[in-house]
Amino acid sequence: MDNLRGSHLSLVIDMSPMQWHLSGEGPPTNAYPLTLDAFLSQLLAFLNSHVASKDENTLAVFGAFPGRSVMLYSSTDPAPNQQNINANSFPPFELVDSNIIRRISEEMEDLGEPEEEAPCALVGALTKALCHINRITLATSTTVNNPSGGPNSTNLPDPRILILSVSPDLSTSYIPIMNSIFSAQKLKVTIDVCQIYGSDTVFLQQAAHLTGGSYIFLDRRDALLQYLIMAFLSPPSIRKILSVPTQDKIDFRAACFCHKSIVDIGFVCSVCLSIFCQPVPVCSTCRTKFPFKTLQRLNASRPMPPSSNSNSARPRTDTPQLRTISSSELALSSGPMNGMTTTAPVGGLAGGSIVNKREPSTNGKIHEPPEAR
Amino acid sequence: MPPRRDNDFIDADSESDISILGDDDLDTRGGKGKGKAKAGDKRKRDKGKAKAKDAQAYTWEANYTRSWETVQEDEAGSLRSSVEDWMARGRRRRLLAPASAIRRTIIRHLVLLLDLSASMMDRDMRPTRFDLTLQYAREFITEWFDQNPLGQIGVVGMRAGLGERIGDMTGNPQDVLRAIADRHKLEPVGEPSLQNAIEMARSSMNHLPTHSSREILIIFGSLTTCDPGNIHDTLDSCIKNKIRISVVALAAEMKICRDICDKTGGQFGVALNDGHFKDLLFELVPPPAQRALSRAAGAGATNPAADLMMMGFPTRLPDTSPPSLCVCHSEIKSEGFLCPRCLAKVCDVPTDCDICGLMIVSSPHLARSYHHLFPVKSYNAVMAIDHAVDSAKGCHGCSRPFPVAVAANTSEGLSPVGRYRCPECHRDFCSDCDVFIHDVVHCCPGCGK
Repeated sequence: MDNLRGSHLSLVIDMSPMQWHLSGEGPPTNAYPLTLDAFLSQLLAFLNSHVASKDENTLAVFGAFPGRSVMLYSSTDPAPNQQNINANSFPPFELVDSNIIRRISEEMEDLGEPEEEAPCALVGALTKALCHINRITLATSTTVNNPSGGPNSTNLPDPRILILSVSPDLSTSYIPIMNSIFSAQKLKVTIDVCQIYGSDTVFLQQAAHLTGGSYIFLDRRDALLQYLIMAFLSPPSIRKILSVPTQDKIDFRAACFCHKSIVDIGFVCSVCLSIFCQPVPVCSTCRTKFPFKTLQRLNASRPMPPSSNSNSARPRTDTPQLRTISSSELALSSGPMNGMTTTAPVGGLAGGSIVNKREPSTNGKIHEPPEAR
Repeated sequence: MPPRRDNDFIDADSESDISILGDDDLDTRGGKGKGKAKAGDKRKRDKGKAKAKDAQAYTWEANYTRSWETVQEDEAGSLRSSVEDWMARGRRRRLLAPASAIRRTIIRHLVLLLDLSASMMDRDMRPTRFDLTLQYAREFITEWFDQNPLGQIGVVGMRAGLGERIGDMTGNPQDVLRAIADRHKLEPVGEPSLQNAIEMARSSMNHLPTHSSREILIIFGSLTTCDPGNIHDTLDSCIKNKIRISVVALAAEMKICRDICDKTGGQFGVALNDGHFKDLLFELVPPPAQRALSRAAGAGATNPAADLMMMGFPTRLPDTSPPSLCVCHSEIKSEGFLCPRCLAKVCDVPTDCDICGLMIVSSPHLARSYHHLFPVKSYNAVMAIDHAVDSAKGCHGCSRPFPVAVAANTSEGLSPVGRYRCPECHRDFCSDCDVFIHDVVHCCPGCGK
């Protein structure tokens, strides 16, 4: 293994004030509150350890604020000189910490107090992170071609993106997120996701799965730093040895194009592969008209309460309507996940049981195959 | 000057060749396909392109241009700015394609028809035509499945006057690659027979649903074909079955090959050398624009090829879940996918659920093609910095600062200040990000669409 290579980390922070407010609220609703301040102090410790672990490591931090995304810090761009550097601090840490805090407070002040919070620009931050990585890789590959380049320029930083998310899925951003995932795949960028607050996000699960990263749903929010350091500090090349926790279950649901709701059974146009949550006579994307017979057939085969389907004898297939399926499925799939994460205590994580978490047996009965009977 | 046979030179040539083919509605495909190349080597290729334009190896292949007049020295007497200009223009050109969504076939079925006749042992391409064909076919298959995840490929060989089934139609790239992995089983011998092979490919696509495309790609190295009957009958039946046949010829143009391609709506190309061969092959990777069927059927008629399909998006179980039986092989295993309707466990997607018959696909498979449907609007080159409008100092994508100096000589489509502005969100981007966003990300960082 070449130890000369540094690794590049692009961090995307979800800075939705609303969600952070909820996350910081007290015990009745929220067993382990994590305020933004506590989060930032733990995060900065993590970033410092990334900077400290190798001299060549590079770092870029992007913030996804409501309605816009900004780059908060980049180690490749010359940072403005700090005149008041504390003599007792390590300058690289001081540089990272003060810059990030200053930029975040600037942006937060700029937000003001809008009537209604705009959706978080996670996609913008993600694509910016990709553009930034593309620029770094382009720069290094051109210096490789150039024989006069420095000796260190031949090393391509091992890029990865870590998303710290607190917001639920934004189904309108399904297509852009998927496009970003595929471009990350092309650039060989690993996307790690840490869902700090809120419910599981389907899209980010898929992002981590498709790029070979880890998705961690944080249960003990107060132990954020431990999670970050144990699971996300090591670069992807070392993770094979470390056996970092990966996902337990990946939900491959998609958002439909018509109502932007997340569906598990959809109706797909054969021409353009647009997904609809109910049979439609005309495809809204490519204007294809579908044959009337198909519509009749699909309407008939939609799962109805006492369905004419042969498999109505099976449990849980007799769900009334498609739209309600999706919501009930959502509740169902999130149930075992939460149960799973509570069974894995944080102490165990630090104690070395970071190897893949086992699923509890409660899941077993869900996918009992028909042959088993 | 001895003919140079390197990749850089070929890339420069391929564009002029596309226009010779004159397939106007397919023109946009070139740019898309190339965008799939890794961003890293794209830059290299562009550089090569710029170089090659200045020094064409075959002058008779180039359009007559007074190339020395377009090269201009800058103040320092260096040619650097001119070279950069060429590079940037080459990048921008592919973005000038129309941004409107073209209707494309996305569920594709392709039969790859390999010539395995004695003429494939010719050494005019290194090491031999046959070896090169196999190598490019492998790359082609990988790239093809990357862009057409719902497609299927079958492989048929033409050897000793017969059509020979090498690989069955399958949606798994590994199966296809395995079929052509062993070159000793494919050793070229005898004469090829176009008719036999096309008939075999056609019969293997007879059962396919009407909404999918049927395509045949022939890699043809011979100059003869040895057929049992009239090949024009075969051609007619292919037209009737709406099979699109494309030919990449390695030797020279044959009338019958050109006819087949023209009449079935495919592409025909003769590979000039190995790099051009690859280019021709990879032109066929992006999904073809769908022919306007309804125009023939009369306005308002429903397109018989289109259909609405019910699909389920499964949940993937990890390897650590408790083992259970799968419905497809009745094997005990941990990992698998759960059918969303009947919750049966299947081993692999895409497939049809064995219990309830629901088509199970993983939604990322579908999503791979969405960028064809919703392309990013092409950015406009900013002609001058307007200080009144609060103009950003750095690129909105990668935050690299924009050049302060204004380039003196620029051509159409290029910004003298190095800025390209999104028409939706009015953010400025540098030319690198412009290309990256349109070719790879397909999503504007400013507006998030």
